[in-house]
Amino acid sequence: MKDSMLNAIETRLGLSRRSFMQFCAAMAATMGLPKGADAQIAHALVSAKRPPVIWLHFQECTGCTESMLRAEHPTLEKLILDIISLDYHETLFAAAGHQAEAARRASMAANKGKYLLVVEGAIPTKDNGVYCKVGGQTALEMVHECAADAAAIIAIGSCASWGGMPSTSPNPTGATGAPVILKDKAVVTIPGCPPNPYNFLSTVVHYLTFGKLPEVDAKGRPKFAYSRLIHENCERRPHFDAGRFAQEFGDEGHRQGYCLYKLGCKGPETYANCPSILFGDVGSGSWPVGTGHPCIGCTEQGIGFQKPIHELAELKYVLPPVGYPRIVEEQGQGMSAGSAALVAGVGGLAVGAGAVMARNLGKNKKPDDTDFGKE
Amino acid sequence: MSRLVIGPFNRVEGDLEVTLEAADGRVASAQVTAPLFRGFEQILIGRAPLDALVIAPRICGICSISQSVAAARALGQALGVTPPPNGALVADLLLAVENAADHLTHFALFFMPDFARSDYAGRPWHAEAARRFAATAGQSAREAMAARARLLHVVGLLAGKWPHSLTLQPGGVAKSVDLGERVRLGQIVADFRRYLERNLFGGSLESLTALDSFVALEQWGERHGDSDLALFLRLSRDLSLDSQGRGVGRFLSYGGITGRAGLWCDGRVAPLDLAGLREDVSHGWMQGGALHPAQGQTRPDADKPMAYSWSKAPRLDGLSCEVGALARQAVSGHPLIADVLACGGWQGSVHDRVVARLLELAQLVIAMEGMIAALSGEGAYCREHGVPGRAEGAGLTEAARGALGHWLRIEDGVIAGYQIVAPTTWNFSPRDADGNPGPLEQALEGTLLEPGASPPLMVQHIVRSFDPCMSCTVH
Ligand code: SF4
Ligand code: SF4
Repeated sequence: MKDSMLNAIETRLGLSRRSFMQFCAAMAATMGLPKGADAQIAHALVSAKRPPVIWLHFQECTGCTESMLRAEHPTLEKLILDIISLDYHETLFAAAGHQAEAARRASMAANKGKYLLVVEGAIPTKDNGVYCKVGGQTALEMVHECAADAAAIIAIGSCASWGGMPSTSPNPTGATGAPVILKDKAVVTIPGCPPNPYNFLSTVVHYLTFGKLPEVDAKGRPKFAYSRLIHENCERRPHFDAGRFAQEFGDEGHRQGYCLYKLGCKGPETYANCPSILFGDVGSGSWPVGTGHPCIGCTEQGIGFQKPIHELAELKYVLPPVGYPRIVEEQGQGMSAGSAALVAGVGGLAVGAGAVMARNLGKNKKPDDTDFGKE
Repeated sequence: MSRLVIGPFNRVEGDLEVTLEAADGRVASAQVTAPLFRGFEQILIGRAPLDALVIAPRICGICSISQSVAAARALGQALGVTPPPNGALVADLLLAVENAADHLTHFALFFMPDFARSDYAGRPWHAEAARRFAATAGQSAREAMAARARLLHVVGLLAGKWPHSLTLQPGGVAKSVDLGERVRLGQIVADFRRYLERNLFGGSLESLTALDSFVALEQWGERHGDSDLALFLRLSRDLSLDSQGRGVGRFLSYGGITGRAGLWCDGRVAPLDLAGLREDVSHGWMQGGALHPAQGQTRPDADKPMAYSWSKAPRLDGLSCEVGALARQAVSGHPLIADVLACGGWQGSVHDRVVARLLELAQLVIAMEGMIAALSGEGAYCREHGVPGRAEGAGLTEAARGALGHWLRIEDGVIAGYQIVAPTTWNFSPRDADGNPGPLEQALEGTLLEPGASPPLMVQHIVRSFDPCMSCTVH
C-alpha cells in the first residue's frame, strides 16, 4: 500500500500507522480470515468509498448504540465519520423532526440500492404496530420502506435479531425481529444484549473489504462469532470438569472463582464468542462470567430472558477433557476421578433438568449442530 | 392558534414527540408524547423474583446500572438482605461512573451540538461552538467521547460488560476487588479527572465545587476562558438561557451519591414522604385509576380517547415535580445552586439544569476517589440470602436523570407486581386528571417562537436541558 495512503489514515482516524495495522490484523483474526486478509482490509478501509448507512431505532433501549460508543480502536464515532457515512441515526444526528426524516429519505433516494441498513430494536406487530411510532410512521412501515432499496441489512442486538427482551412472554406488543418481518431479504443478525461491538465492526469491515456480508449460520449469525459455545472457551471450564461449583453468590466456591453452572450459567447452551473477544477493552476476565455472574444466554433465542436465571442449562454435549484433575484422592479405585467429577456435576440438580443432563452425559453426546468445529 | 408537531426528536435517548399550540408567536400549551411501549411491567409478572435483576435493567441502555441498583434494592428489602460495606462501595462506584458518563454524554453529544448549528452563525461564540461541538465531528465532543470510553473501563473491570452489567445483587456484587485492581481503578479515575480539569472545566474540581454564587461562576468562566464550561457560560448569557424553560419549581430527590433525599419548594426542603405518590393515567394510553406504585398496574389501551402518551403521570400529593441533577443539588443545598435558583425566581432554567449537571460531574469524581480508597481487601463483597414466598420491597435510587424507584411484590414465590417510576416519567409526564401539565409541558409554555429554524431552537434547548431518557419513561 502506498505510503501517502497510510499517512492519510493517521490524520483521518487519529490512529498511528502501527495501531491501524494492528486493528486490521485484529479484525482479520476475529473473523478467522486467512493470512493476507489484514492487508486487504487495510487497503479497503483506506481506499473504499464510504458506504452510506441508515440506522433505525425501534423498540429498544439504545444499549446497542451505547456499547458501540464505548468501543475503541477506533471508536464508533470515528467509524461513522471515516469508514461509513452515517446519513440517519436518531441518537447522534444533528437535525430534529422532519428535517431528519427528510435527510433519511433524500439519502435513500440518492443511494438507491447502495446503502447499508442497520436495524436496532424489535418491531411490534400487535394492533398494527401502534406500540412504536417514529414521525407518525409505525416501525413496521418504516422498516419495509427502508429495506426496499438497501444493499445489505444488519440487525444489531437481540431485539432486532428475534425480538429480544420485549418479545419475552407474554410478549405484550407482539415484538419480533427484522428477519421475520423482512422475510424475502437476507438479514445478518448480531444478537447479544448488547452485542459485542467488535462483532458488529467486523461485519461492517467484511462488507467493505469483500463487498458482501460474512458467511452466516441458520439463524443469520456470522459464523466467525457464533459457532462455538461459551462453555467451550470459558476460563472456568476446568472447574466445571473437576466438579467445583459456586452454589450461591458470595459463597466459598464463588469467591474461589469456581464454575457458575449451578447459579444457572447458560454458557453450555449459548453460542457466542464472549470469552475470547471480551468486553470493555480492559483485558482478561472482562466479560460477565469472568466477573462472577453466570451467562444469561442473551444471544440465544428462547434462552436469553426467557429461561429463569437460576434454571440449569441443558448441556448440549460434553466432550471430556484429556485429563481430569484428581479431586478425590482416596477414591481412586472404585470410582475414577473423572466419573466423580461427573457425579459432582449432576449432584443437586433439579429433577427435570437433571434427567436431561444425565442422559447427555451418559451418551457422551456429540453436538447436534453439524457446524461445530468448522470455522 | 396554530399547531406544530415535532418528532422524531433527535439527540435524546429514545423516541419523543412534542406538539405545540402557538398563539401570538409564543407556545400557548405543549403536549409531550412518548410513542414507544414495550410492556416490561407485564413481562415481569409471574417470573422468579431474582429474574428482575436481568429483565428490569434492560429498560434502558443508558442508565442500566441505575436500574440494576433500584432492582437490587427492591429485592434486598423484600428478601431482608443488604450488601456488606465492600459490596455497597462497588455498587456506588459503578453508579457514580454511569452517572458521570451520562452527564458528559448529555453535555457534549446531546446538548451543545445545537449551538453549532448554522442558524446561530454570526453570534460571537458560534465559530467556537462549531469547532468544539458540531454533531459527530466537534473537537470537544470527540475528546469527551474518548474520556468517557476510558472512564467506562471501571465498569469493564468490575462488571465485565456495559450496558446491562449483571454484577449487582441484592446481597452485594458478584466480583471482589484485589489490590492490583484497586490501583488500576485509581488510575482510570485520575485520568478522567485530568480530562475534566484540562478540557471541560479548565481548573481544579475542588475550586469548581467551592463556587458559591452565580457571580462567582461567571468569574470562573472569565478566568478559564478556554474551557468548554466557559463557552457554555458565554453563549448562555448571550441567549439568556437562565430565563428559558422555567420549571414547576418543585424538586424531588431520593438522595443519591452526592446528596440527601427531600422535596424542595420555594427555597425550603421538606422531608420526603412517598405516601402521597400516585401514578395518574388519565392522559396515558392506559386503563385504571391513579394508584401508588406499590399497588400499581399496567394495562395498555391504545384506543383510549383523550390520551396522548404511553407515559403515566407521577404526582406527589397531586403535584408534579422536577427530578434530576438540579433537583439533587437544590435538595442538598449546594450554595452555588441555591444562589442560581434564587436569581431565577426559584423555578430552575435551561442554564441551571446544565450548571447543576456539570457541578455534579466534578463532585462525582471526587466521590469516586473516596470510594476506591475505602475499598478493602478484607471482608465480603456479597451476602447470601433466601427468597421468601411472600414479601414486598421498594428500591429507590438516583439515576443521572433523577429519582428512580422500583416497587416489587412477591406472592407464592413469584413476582406478583412490579412497577417502575423513572426520572423522565416525572419530567416528561402528560397531564393529570386535574389538567395540570407535566414539568416539560409547563417549562415550554410561554416560550417565544422565533421565526427561522424549525423546529424552533429554543424549544429544542429546553427539551434537551432535561436530558430526557425516553426508553426509561415508558417501559
Ligand atoms: S438488544 Fe439489548 S442492548 Fe440492544 S436494544 Fe435490545 S435490550 Fe437494548
Ligand atoms: S457452566 Fe458457565 S461458568 Fe461453568 S464452565 Fe461453562 S460457561 Fe463457564
